[in-house]
Amino acid sequence: MENNIELQNVSKKYKDFELKDISFNVPQGCIVGLIGENGAGKTTTIKSILNITKAEGIVKILGKDSKENEKELKEEMGVVLDDSFLSEYLTAKQVNSIMQDFYKTWNENKYNQLLKQFDLPTNKLIKDFSSGMKMKLKIATAISHNPKILILDEPTSGLDPVVRNEILDIFRKYIEDDETRSILLSTHITTDLEHISDYIVFIEKGKIVFDLPTNELLENYGIIKCSKDDFIRLDKKDYIAYQKGKYQYEVLTNDKNTIRRKYNMTIIDKPSIEDIMLFYIKGEK
Amino acid sequence: MIKALLKKDLYNLATYKASLIIIILFCGIAIIGTEAMTIAPAIICGIIGMISLSTFSYDEMSKSNRYILTLPTNRKELVIEKYILAIGATVLGGILGMLITVIVVNVMNDLRPENIINLDYQSLIVATMGGIWGISFLQAIQIPSIYKWGAEKGRIQMFILVFIIVAILSGIYFLINKANINMNMEMIKNFITKFGVWIFIISTIVMYFISYKIAYKIYKHKEE
Repeated sequence: MENNIELQNVSKKYKDFELKDISFNVPQGCIVGLIGENGAGKTTTIKSILNITKAEGIVKILGKDSKENEKELKEEMGVVLDDSFLSEYLTAKQVNSIMQDFYKTWNENKYNQLLKQFDLPTNKLIKDFSSGMKMKLKIATAISHNPKILILDEPTSGLDPVVRNEILDIFRKYIEDDETRSILLSTHITTDLEHISDYIVFIEKGKIVFDLPTNELLENYGIIKCSKDDFIRLDKKDYIAYQKGKYQYEVLTNDKNTIRRKYNMTIIDKPSIEDIMLFYIKGEK
Repeated sequence: MIKALLKKDLYNLATYKASLIIIILFCGIAIIGTEAMTIAPAIICGIIGMISLSTFSYDEMSKSNRYILTLPTNRKELVIEKYILAIGATVLGGILGMLITVIVVNVMNDLRPENIINLDYQSLIVATMGGIWGISFLQAIQIPSIYKWGAEKGRIQMFILVFIIVAILSGIYFLINKANINMNMEMIKNFITKFGVWIFIISTIVMYFISYKIAYKIYKHKEE
C-alpha cells in the first residue's frame, strides 16, 4: 500500500516543549487519527507536515519532499484548522472568489453544491455563522479542489453530536469517492475515530506512544478487572498500566487473549480509545 | 497567488467604504473653507495608506496567516502582497486627493466667478508627493514592526515614532531660529525643483526595498 504522507524522525524544539522523532505513515485510502491530550504535540506535528513550522526530519507527501515541492504539493492538499481561516469578515461567496485564485483545480460548482448541501448562506459574514456552520464552510473550502490529502486539526471540537456525525459522514464519503485519497485527522474526541479511522497514532508529551490499526487496538486491548491478589500474579510484561480502584484493580493489556489463557481471567472489558488513552496518561506502570 | 491575497485584503477593507466617503466629503468641505490646496492629498493619502495596514489586524483576529500558509503560496508572497497593498493604497490616496482638489476648486470657481481660486498645479503635485513620501516613510517602518511585534504594538510604536519625528523637526526649526541662521531659500527651492522628483522616487523605492528585506527576514523565522 502506498503512503500519501510519510514522516521520518520529525523533531521540533520549543522553550517548554519538544516534539521527538515522530515517524508514521498515512496510507492511501485510509483515515489516520492523531490522538493525544491538549498540548501533546498533535498541532505541532500537523504544522510540521504543512511546513508552517520549521522542523527537523523528513516529511514526504505523495512521495516527494514537502519542503522542496511545497507549492506543488499544497495544490494536492486540503486543510482544516480549528482556530484559523481566511477571515471572519468575508462571505462564503467571497471565499469562492479568493480560492479560485489560489487553486488551479478549484471547482466552483462543487463548492456551491457543498454550500447548498450544508445549508450555508452565501452572502452572510462568516463571523455571524454558528460554530457548526463555520466548520462546514471550512470543510467545503478544503475539499472543493478535489485534493488527494485532507488534513484536519480538531475538526469536531466544540460541535454538537448531530453536526459531528454529519461531518464524519462527509469524511467517509470523501474516501469512498476515491480510494487513492487519505485523511489525517487530529482530535481529542476519540469516540469519533472508533467509527471512521483505519489507524490510530497516539502522541503523548511530544512522543509517539503507539501507531496501530484501529481494529487491532479495539480487538486486542482489554481492561482486566481483578482483585489485588490476581493483580499481584500478573507479570509486568503482560500489562501496560493499571489503576487502583476502591474495590478492584483495572489493568490495561494489549493482548487480552494471552491474559485469558495464561491467568484464566475472565472479566476483561473491551476498552474505548479514550479508555486506552487515559490508562497511558493517568495509569500507573 | 498574490492576486488571491490582495482580494482577501480588499474584501476585508470593504468595511471602510462608508468611512472613506465621509473623509472625502470632509476634505471637500475643508478645501471650500480654507481654500488650501494641500489638505486633501495629505489627508486622504495618509488615511488610505494607514487603512491598508489595518489588514494586519484582520489577519491577527482570524489567525489567517496560519491557514494561508497551508494553501499553495509562501511567506515571501505574503510579505510582497502587503507591500503591494500599502504602496497601491498610498498612491491611490494621493491621486484621489489631487483629483478632489481639482474638482472642488473648479466647481467653486464656476459657482463663484467673482472669487477665483488660482489652482497652482505645481504646489498640488509637490503636496501630493510630500504626502506620499511621508506615508511611505511611516509604512516602511511600521510594516516590519508589525511583523515583529504584531498589529497592536506596531500601532503604538507608530504613534511614538510620529511624536519623535515631530519633536526632532520642531527642535531643528527652533535651533535654526535661535542661531539666527539665514537659510538660502532660493537655493533650496532651486535644488528641489531640479532634483526633487528624483529624490522622491529614489528615496521611496530605497525605503520600501530595505523595509521589505527586513520584514521578510523577520517573517521567514516567525512561528504561526
